[in-house]
Amino acid sequence: MFRLLEETGFTRVRSAVVPRFRFRKESTQNSAEAYGVKAVMMTALKPGGDKQHVPATH
Amino acid sequence: MTTVPDTQASLEADLKGEIIRMYQEVADHPDGEFHFFHGREAAELFGYAPQWLDRASPGAVASFAGVGNPHERSHLQPGETVLDLGSGAGLDAIVAAWQVGPTGRVIGVDLNPAMCLKAQTHAAATGAAMECHQGRMEDIPVPDASVDVVISNGVMNLSFRKRRVAQEMFRVLRPGGRISITDIVSAKQLSQSIVNDPKLWAS
Repeated sequence: MFRLLEETGFTRVRSAVVPRFRFRKESTQNSAEAYGVKAVMMTALKPGGDKQHVPATH
Repeated sequence: MTTVPDTQASLEADLKGEIIRMYQEVADHPDGEFHFFHGREAAELFGYAPQWLDRASPGAVASFAGVGNPHERSHLQPGETVLDLGSGAGLDAIVAAWQVGPTGRVIGVDLNPAMCLKAQTHAAATGAAMECHQGRMEDIPVPDASVDVVISNGVMNLSFRKRRVAQEMFRVLRPGGRISITDIVSAKQLSQSIVNDPKLWAS
């Protein structure tokens, strides 16, 4: 998804894992881990304009 | 003969129905057991301020089904226009409305018109101004370059056409606008059995 945002034209794409995310059911969580499923936070900017708020995500 | 586009369209239609069903279920029966955390328990897990959760409509909190906290890095400012893509029961839109204040504007978009009504009711109950439009994230019912910030919480992963969703977010943002979204990603290609199962995909 990170690359998708960049390819769309967004700049300053940043992502960070949501550390506390997990599924309630253990079986679902185990399956999710097998697929490397995780929750992420992403910020990005559309270029241009005179106000560019810099996201703090690292 | 069934073509690939036909199959994709059929899967998308099934997925749309399953998404509406699942998140309507969370909204109608927030005391139910789901495989994901929801409600206040989830919001607290993701760092929503307790005072937000105390102040928001109980229905919006109880039906919260996000996967993180897009407000953590959204840096919303008074007067900004915010689009909440997949606004559900409205908690994120309500929090956004408080931050942008009376000079700002919050627009929710949700696939389910019943959820739109619910979100607007929840927002009004707390004095937050929010308008909600029924629509798809692949065709956001908002004009070009009309939004300062797009927030979204666990929604983009539900689309088969994520590139289209990204393009739509880009389209509706003003130059210099930004996104702050939380979502689910997978490091591995999901098996075809998952991709072809709307119930699993909607999860």
